[in-house]
Amino acid sequence: MPKKSSKSPAAKAPKKKTAKKATRPTLAQRADKHQLYQWSVQSPGVDIEFFTEEFTRHRGRKPLRLREDFCGTAHFSTEWCKTDPQRTALGVDLDGPTLAYGRQHNLEPAGPAVANRVKLAQADVRETRFAKVDLTLAMNFSYCVFKTRDELQTYFAAACKGLVRDGILALEVYGGTESMSTLTEERDIRGGATYIWEQEKFSPITHHTLCHISWRFKKDKSVLHRAFTYDWRLWTLPELRELMLTAGFKSVKFYFERVDGDEGDEFLTGTGEFIEHDEVDNQEAFLAYVLALK
Amino acid sequence: MPRSALADKSKSPVRTLAAQADRHALYERSVQDPDGDVKFFARTYRKLRGHDPVSMREDFCGTAALCAAWARSSPERTALGVDLSQETMNWGTARHLVPAGRDVASRVSLVCADVRSVRRPKVDLTCALNFSYYCFKQRAELLEYFTAVHAGLNRDGVFLLDMLGGTEAILEGTTDNDHGDFIYRWEQAKFDAFSHDFQCYIHFLFPDGSKIYRAYAYDWRLWMAPELRDILLEAGFSRVHFYWEKTDAEGEGTGIFYEPDYVENQEIWWTYIAAER
Repeated sequence: MPKKSSKSPAAKAPKKKTAKKATRPTLAQRADKHQLYQWSVQSPGVDIEFFTEEFTRHRGRKPLRLREDFCGTAHFSTEWCKTDPQRTALGVDLDGPTLAYGRQHNLEPAGPAVANRVKLAQADVRETRFAKVDLTLAMNFSYCVFKTRDELQTYFAAACKGLVRDGILALEVYGGTESMSTLTEERDIRGGATYIWEQEKFSPITHHTLCHISWRFKKDKSVLHRAFTYDWRLWTLPELRELMLTAGFKSVKFYFERVDGDEGDEFLTGTGEFIEHDEVDNQEAFLAYVLALK
Repeated sequence: MPRSALADKSKSPVRTLAAQADRHALYERSVQDPDGDVKFFARTYRKLRGHDPVSMREDFCGTAALCAAWARSSPERTALGVDLSQETMNWGTARHLVPAGRDVASRVSLVCADVRSVRRPKVDLTCALNFSYYCFKQRAELLEYFTAVHAGLNRDGVFLLDMLGGTEAILEGTTDNDHGDFIYRWEQAKFDAFSHDFQCYIHFLFPDGSKIYRAYAYDWRLWMAPELRDILLEAGFSRVHFYWEKTDAEGEGTGIFYEPDYVENQEIWWTYIAAER
């Protein structure tokens, strides 16, 4: 995942002052943004179950070799290898320090039996020199950094090339009316923190969107402001389908999260269960998985 | 006009307002502003090219109201209207060209053809309004159409089109516009997030309770602005401009368009695009 963050406030040494109380760093200053990120927006357990099920349904076998593009801290890769001793993972990301964080905080604690099966590469995800895999993932909308059709198609073509003959590329997409607006959403996470998703800008002409993640801490009300910033193009479902097919994939499937609630309810609640659709009415905000079958 | 409305004519002793109405006339009053378009086109072309446009082609011209307005606006100007419906063009000839007189009428030609097949005569300006090109639902089809437009333009030609957008453009719902003697109802019946298939209808409602249900039906793909820019550039256009309507203090449209660096999305908006050959 691209992490164009400004330097973490946690890295700054607190200023020395005589009054002890004043020198005490805030919770935001002491926070670990990667840990908060994992808590806030990643749930590899659910995703692994879903991808395994769908891969098995389409291909008649279990996926073993995973490639996690924009892997960041390689949280997903680590969890993947924990689920089955035969499973391997390759995490690819441009950001060296984030990969190093992942080695220390995700791979090492998992023990050598797991860590030995996770390889990390500091590289562009369009790189095609790596060994072929069964399943490639691009989670958390990271591919939206590719803002032109050429760039995104090159990425999809590289992903296609990096898959074995019956491989699958899986990614996430968000959309709906709210995705095309400016807004701020808050959600409580563990550790007394509130996750803040901010869509600062959305251009209806270019579909470029500027988004940030911040966290606020209940106890001292301190804020880890815009720890992550994303400068994206919000791609629409038909665009993704067209680019994937042009890049060499044979078919593209969309999965929407099944929502609970009766017609007329103000809010629909996600159930965590994703089902394949051929046609869907637009929702205010949706999260979908896209599977591209080679 | 839908068949049911026609059938009602013979039975009913008193003809309803719907039975007496002419859907083309209602359509023109509801969604067209040919004189405004002519002014915007000429101004935009002059700004981009430094001289006046003379020849104009109106794709999906329907009743050719814009062709007639173009030819009326200046004695040198010529217009070519292209549409698949001969019936609608005949209506337009009787309504706009014949009354405009021989001089204006002689400078307007109407061709019943697929807009993708017309490449001659070359023109200064081609336009496709009222989102009609949304009928091309496949990217390859729209690219073929834009490529044909490009090939049919003079070297410094400009292509002008309009588009619809906003957070509510992708939602289902109806909007009413009261014209006094009738209500224009725009219905977005279906939007599919996977394909962006977009089904819309125009209905006309009258004070006596009668209506012309689904006077016009559209089976479209709602193309997004960046998609249009991408396809126009791929078709060979060198530069693409998106305009935006200025609003007054109350947030109402002023009819004045500018080229913005950044604008916030709105609930519903329509705007012009200019693509330079």
